[in-house]
Amino acid sequence: MALTETKIDFLKDLSLDENTNIHALEVMSEGETKYLRDLRVNVKNVLSSTNLQPKEAYLLALAIAVNEKNDLLIKSFYAKAKELGAADAELAETFACASQLAANNIFYRFRHFTKETNPAYQTMPAGIKMNVMMSPVLGKEFFELMSLAVSAVNGCESCVNSHEESVRKLGSSDARIFDSIRLASVIRGLALIVR
Amino acid sequence: MLGLGKKFPEFKKKAVVSIEHGKEFAEVSSADHQKDGKWMVMFWYPKDFTFVCPTEIAEFNNQNGEFRDRDAVLYGASTDSEFVHLAWRNDHKDLKGLKFPLIADTSKSLGEALGILTDDDEKVAYRVTYIVDPQGIIRWVCANDLSVGRNVPEVLRVLDALQTDELCPCNWEKGKETIHV
Repeated sequence: MALTETKIDFLKDLSLDENTNIHALEVMSEGETKYLRDLRVNVKNVLSSTNLQPKEAYLLALAIAVNEKNDLLIKSFYAKAKELGAADAELAETFACASQLAANNIFYRFRHFTKETNPAYQTMPAGIKMNVMMSPVLGKEFFELMSLAVSAVNGCESCVNSHEESVRKLGSSDARIFDSIRLASVIRGLALIVR
Repeated sequence: MLGLGKKFPEFKKKAVVSIEHGKEFAEVSSADHQKDGKWMVMFWYPKDFTFVCPTEIAEFNNQNGEFRDRDAVLYGASTDSEFVHLAWRNDHKDLKGLKFPLIADTSKSLGEALGILTDDDEKVAYRVTYIVDPQGIIRWVCANDLSVGRNVPEVLRVLDALQTDELCPCNWEKGKETIHV
């Protein structure tokens, strides 16, 4: 028996119509891989962390979906975040954060790579405007948390380290940071499947 | 009360699995979940046709998919007979569509083996929930006094915690044995 029930419940979890045909989901359901059940449970669990407000969890998920260019998930998380009370300005800033950090992650990772080979880059002005970071409507702590999550997905070591330190200084607990990264990790995995 | 690390007693009991005529009853045993490599979650309650029980059972039913996706077989159990279970399912709107079996421990042998029956003349089961692993070992037991309902998300939380093994080699430490699954 295919994992049809799991697949249908999974689509419902993501507020997608149960007749939506997603190739990877169909393949995993027909092939009965245990992973499909784990994926469903993992997604549910990370989105209901006690260290994040529900709205925060979905905004983080939205940022990762934007980073992963996943239109289905962007639509789903956008709608859910809105339902949970996210204001237009907050939603806009989530897209902005994902995009800004995608740029910064490339730039600052390069600077990090070349630290020993050509120190000149360390002091040359970046020339990249990032005013969205000045007074974020999401609040400094949550904006940093989102930046950290995106940076973790994009794999920029210096970005991860500086945002991690920064968000802790702004009052984030280790548990809250940890859960945000668990969320980013799982949503990244999800983004490869639900598209 | 039988506790952690002990083997769950072997049992073979009648259960109600459906309200469809001719398909109401089946036999369930301790071997069933083990042969499928699944966990078992068995929640006991004192009596059919009382008040706290239906809300709990309905909540377990709502979360049936969550247990399914955690490879856990779900059973409700009381000392009522299978006919009382059937009558109750037919009588209560929240129980008509129950997706898991209700075990009838009519002889009370299982309740006694577990040590979860009340001390008085009635000898009904306390509200005890067991999580048993695929090898038949008790990994969690939670007991409430008669009037206190259970929290189903908590059962799921514990099940997740028991099941989440970090199998990735990144957790390997130098000198430790490699992963054997």
